[in-house]
Amino acid sequence: MRGSFFIVLAGLALFGHGAARGQAAEVKADSVAGGGGPSAEGVEFFEKHIRPVLVARCYECHSAQAKKVKGGLSLDSREAIAAGGNNGAVILPGDVENSPLIHAIRWSDPDQAMPPKGKLAAEEIAKLEEWVRMGAPDPRSGGAGALPAKAKSRDLEADRRWWAFVPLNASAPPAVARPEWARTTIDFFVLGALEKRQLQPSAKADPRSLLLRLYLDLTGLRPSREEMDAFVRDPSEAAWAQAVDRLLASPQYGERWGRYWLDVARYAEDNPTTEASNPPYPNAWRYRDWVIDAVNRDLPYDQFVSLQLAADLMPGTARGEMAATGFLGIGPVYHKDARLSKDVIENLCMDDWDERVDVVSRGVLGLTVSCARCHDHKTDPISTRDYYALAGVFASTAAGPRPVTDVDPAVETRAMAAAQRLFYLSYVANLLRGDPGSSPVEARQKVEGFVRELESIRSEIADLRESHPLLHAQLAKLDRRPQPYEDSIPDKSAAATPEAPEAAPAAATNVKSPEASVEANKTAGQAPDKPDAPSSDGAKPGPGPTGAPSAVGANTVTANTVGADAAGANAGGQRTAGGDERGRRFREADPFFHSVFDAGVWVNGSDPDLTRIDLKPGVARDLPVLPGGNVAKPGEVVPRGFPVVLSKGDPAFREGSGRRELARKIFTDAAPLAARVMVNRVWGWHFGRPLVDTTSDFGQQCDKPTHPELLDDLAARFVAHGWSLKWLHRELVLSATYQQSSRTRPEAAGVDPDNRLLWRMNPRRLDAESIRDCLLQTAGTLDPRAGGPSSNADQVENTRRTVYSRISRGRAGNFLRLFDFPEASMHSPGRETTTTPLQQLFVMNSPFMRAQAEALVRTVPETADTPEKVRVLIRRVFLREPGGRELEQALQYLTTGTLLDYAHALLSTNELIFWP
Amino acid sequence: MNRLISRREMLRSLGGGLGSVALYGMLADEKARAAAIASGPPDFTPMAKHSIVLFMPGGPSHIDMFDPKPALQLHAGERPDAVNVRTERTTGGLLPSPFRFARHGQSGLEISELLPNLAKIADDLCVVRSMHTFNPTHTPARSLFHSGNIAATRPSMGSWISYGLGSENKNLPGFVALSAGGGGGPGLRSGFLPSRHQGVGFDYSFEDPEKMIRDLRNRQLDPEAQRRQLDLIQSLNRGHNEIVGGDGFLETRIAAMETAFRMQSEANEAFDLRGEPASIRELYGTSPYANGCILARRLIERGVRTVHVYSGAGQPWDDHTRINDNLRNRCPDMDKASAALITDLKQRGLLDETAVVWGGEFGRTPVSESGDGRDHNPFGFTMFMAGGGFKGGTCYGATDEFGFRAVENRVSIHDLHATLLHVLGIDHEKLTYRYAGRDFRLTDVHGEIIRPLLG
Repeated sequence: MRGSFFIVLAGLALFGHGAARGQAAEVKADSVAGGGGPSAEGVEFFEKHIRPVLVARCYECHSAQAKKVKGGLSLDSREAIAAGGNNGAVILPGDVENSPLIHAIRWSDPDQAMPPKGKLAAEEIAKLEEWVRMGAPDPRSGGAGALPAKAKSRDLEADRRWWAFVPLNASAPPAVARPEWARTTIDFFVLGALEKRQLQPSAKADPRSLLLRLYLDLTGLRPSREEMDAFVRDPSEAAWAQAVDRLLASPQYGERWGRYWLDVARYAEDNPTTEASNPPYPNAWRYRDWVIDAVNRDLPYDQFVSLQLAADLMPGTARGEMAATGFLGIGPVYHKDARLSKDVIENLCMDDWDERVDVVSRGVLGLTVSCARCHDHKTDPISTRDYYALAGVFASTAAGPRPVTDVDPAVETRAMAAAQRLFYLSYVANLLRGDPGSSPVEARQKVEGFVRELESIRSEIADLRESHPLLHAQLAKLDRRPQPYEDSIPDKSAAATPEAPEAAPAAATNVKSPEASVEANKTAGQAPDKPDAPSSDGAKPGPGPTGAPSAVGANTVTANTVGADAAGANAGGQRTAGGDERGRRFREADPFFHSVFDAGVWVNGSDPDLTRIDLKPGVARDLPVLPGGNVAKPGEVVPRGFPVVLSKGDPAFREGSGRRELARKIFTDAAPLAARVMVNRVWGWHFGRPLVDTTSDFGQQCDKPTHPELLDDLAARFVAHGWSLKWLHRELVLSATYQQSSRTRPEAAGVDPDNRLLWRMNPRRLDAESIRDCLLQTAGTLDPRAGGPSSNADQVENTRRTVYSRISRGRAGNFLRLFDFPEASMHSPGRETTTTPLQQLFVMNSPFMRAQAEALVRTVPETADTPEKVRVLIRRVFLREPGGRELEQALQYLTTGTLLDYAHALLSTNELIFWP
Repeated sequence: MNRLISRREMLRSLGGGLGSVALYGMLADEKARAAAIASGPPDFTPMAKHSIVLFMPGGPSHIDMFDPKPALQLHAGERPDAVNVRTERTTGGLLPSPFRFARHGQSGLEISELLPNLAKIADDLCVVRSMHTFNPTHTPARSLFHSGNIAATRPSMGSWISYGLGSENKNLPGFVALSAGGGGGPGLRSGFLPSRHQGVGFDYSFEDPEKMIRDLRNRQLDPEAQRRQLDLIQSLNRGHNEIVGGDGFLETRIAAMETAFRMQSEANEAFDLRGEPASIRELYGTSPYANGCILARRLIERGVRTVHVYSGAGQPWDDHTRINDNLRNRCPDMDKASAALITDLKQRGLLDETAVVWGGEFGRTPVSESGDGRDHNPFGFTMFMAGGGFKGGTCYGATDEFGFRAVENRVSIHDLHATLLHVLGIDHEKLTYRYAGRDFRLTDVHGEIIRPLLG
């Protein structure tokens, strides 16, 4: 369970003060009752003073009558009280001061106050204290049944026999009545299941539909008219196989299939919120390009994932592969305002690590490990120990900029740590300078301390000048010197909205809202800065407001820099306008990967006013279990490691953070699960529906596979074929199952309306990327340049493929949001496609559609022959000759309408969003 | 519609964004869901059909507006132990409010002189002085207010309500947020809920719908010519259906095209504020926030489920300095338009079926920051409700003697969510969505319905 922090604070898990728990580990019911049964006096006291209060004020939530027992604590029997709540004992008989119940009713901490709706009367509190002092005599006995159910104990061996965990079995395909239908092994499994229900597969699709299906599937684009005609002339098996090979070898294949992985990897170029401590990731595109390239060269899936988890820890890894670590390096992080308490910051760190646990466990293993953050997983064999063992890997991993060129590893780690430290120190120094609060003298002393530390890091960086000039130059660029501390206390009265680090827009700037500022700042941060960006030589110049440096500059400063944004906090609220190049922490063309390195992360609360985050490069950190997810009540420390249920032998990790061992465990001990999960995803992307509907949950609540033997067989052969995705694609698209018509058949739909048995191909609406890419392609405007910094999908002038669009967390652009692009703040297990009126407003009225219609019309040759013009348009848009009444209709329309409006109409039809 | 359309296709094809399209089986589906999530007890019928949230970003000062604390005068400048509480910034001594409080209406609700118009409708207000939250920073606190969780990933309450109740108007979205700039951040997020429940943001700085809704107008064709073009498209679509055998989403798109065509005129009508009579302008005032309040009423009238109106640009209520002057300047527009909205809903007979909620992500400290400002205070603050089943003239809960911590009848954000869902006829424990292996709720594992607030 996530969001643990407020569980505690809302009072659910409050009975369990760490200090008390140790002493009270096992309080027996008898001792609560005062040994062998309460005295008559005790009973009288209880009945007179205690029971009425408990009934009136506590039973609503803490008794058998409660609609729901809160915090696992019942107070309606002696046994129940003795058993305590989720976090242990609540009463230490005789020990008033250490009994959590007493703390709670005293409301000594308002966040852990009971009853939550109103404090007990002083008299009532005094009586309860006295009762505890007396040894908590209690005549009530509810028997064992009164106790809230405790988590059942699990049988590890039985859990390991779960279908998704057991070894893969390549099984003999079932015997079928029509073996001649089958083309690849999967067809036998599909046909076997159909025949069991007396169903027949559909006929093979017509050649036009087939080729269109294949092109959209493997490249996300449409075939040319010539390619279509050639295939219609020769739709043989050989021609089909050739087309498959050709498309799998084309660079457009990686642009299509890399994008699928980017959904899994929640790829984006910024954070859910954008503040001082969590700026955007302008170099994220390097990771995106790496994914596309890796898919194009058919990097085996096990290596593909392993590099993303631990490229930096694998000796001999080529420099270019370091881009893979962007998987972790661009993970969402939350703003950590140094003025918040240690607990709050620790929780935010836990949230970040939780996200990494989630994206790896759901994304690669199909397990919802994050469910075990607060309590053992309710249904799956994942304990809180497993959770914190895995979270420890990410608590031992820090994000930082890694040069794209080779650097001596020791120097590199130092440089990455220095960059992070620079970032942090500048942030806190500027924070305090901008907002010294009511103790300016103290603030100033702290700032001076930070500046001294900054100077020592600077001198360390200066040492690199000779040996690593490039690295030195880049680091120096990151270092934005804080302004000298001014003597006068900043004049707060000038501040309209002095809270700069969080609320970027001050009234003093011309920005209206936080969203607006982020928009502006994305724009600014991502405009190509220099011509030296790889592959970006031709990239379109950045979007619009380049002519408005003051507006953009002001905001760039806020989000992209450490130094300047805090300078923005600088009292006046007036930010320096103008695009100060030094002000940017990173620019998109800078030669860095957003990467990670091994460093333990600790939250340091030693300064009561300023919480620090300490990085210790090369030191790993094991986390304690946090019952209820409560950072204030750490339990037993667990070594970093792999979920026990999936481990063969010792689950513990010992090398550094353990990322490399994690990758190894995934593809050895858990290989059957990892293979099933990926094969199922790939199946779903090809067929429009996976074999297991819950693609990221293969636990006990998952949907059962529709074809379990098929999934196993395919996964086994996937592993046997070296985890090759291109092998897997061929196996699927060469099958007869894939080549079926997608037309519905009433008799089959009556038996299996959801097509779970695959009696036809699933027809689909194109996804956002294909809709836009195919429109550009059809209009002849598609800009084929691949890779490099991202561009804005909402800009009419930008005609690159949609995979190269800027992706934002929580602030997706209009087009992507309209057509169901997934939110990139979390791992996305699959897309949902909707059909809405707003989409149609875009289709009917947007400048983008109009521009494509205009471009399309320009492809029509000058001629007086109107029917010929129509034929040219229809051939180009529908890849076929006009059918039926189409020509006649067109001519009728053109008596009053223009050719441009006609072209626009063709681009608006269902045929252009239909994936047969 | 093709009878072979499966439930799955149906769900997939339900409209999103601006409006769920007119969809045949959809009503039945929503009724089924409504029955499943209905709020008990059995004799309880939902009081409200709609809700409006008036959100004051930054954290308005309860001490200067709704929660009088005479003790601040007595101990001005002192720093007793009770206020030695860590907030976001460093704070100093107690800072009294200069604003005079008086009792208003038959209920005798205490409201400060900053809010004369709200004071006039005191008997319609249900004031909760014991709100509390736990994160003293804007973004997480705002996320908590909107979505019940500090992580900026969960669905917002508007999305939950849209998911729970569906849309009453097939041509308008179920959840609308109005702000300067048209954004809404975490307040719009549908998170893991289907994206059709995402809030649709509009910029209330404009009165002209075309500036508020992207691509609403066709700039080339008049309606008649556009109709002819659409007829051509639909004819080609029907031809395509014959070729491919038709499918649910293809039919849905044909319908969505028609809806979009109608929307061009209908949304134009709904969003056009230029036709509001002078008397209404007089009532609400002319500020952009007043535009938002008028528009909220117009959208509610047309069946939109829930409308959020943000006060001002950025986070204007974040008064770390010069709070007294700032409040004097900022309150009049907000006071006038907020009171006007409630009055207007009442005179149109809509207040009973519309729950109005007013508040920010937290309140402000009784201790000063930098001498003349107040820091964030998540420990105790005020919100008010009106209409939609809330009991007017109510004052519920209390903060401590200085207004720092809620101490009596404390109400958490989850309690607020649970109560708001309750008045809309939704049991907050039953409104769940299965994601990542478990059933999520707006109220997570928390939330109590605060029954004393209900009429």
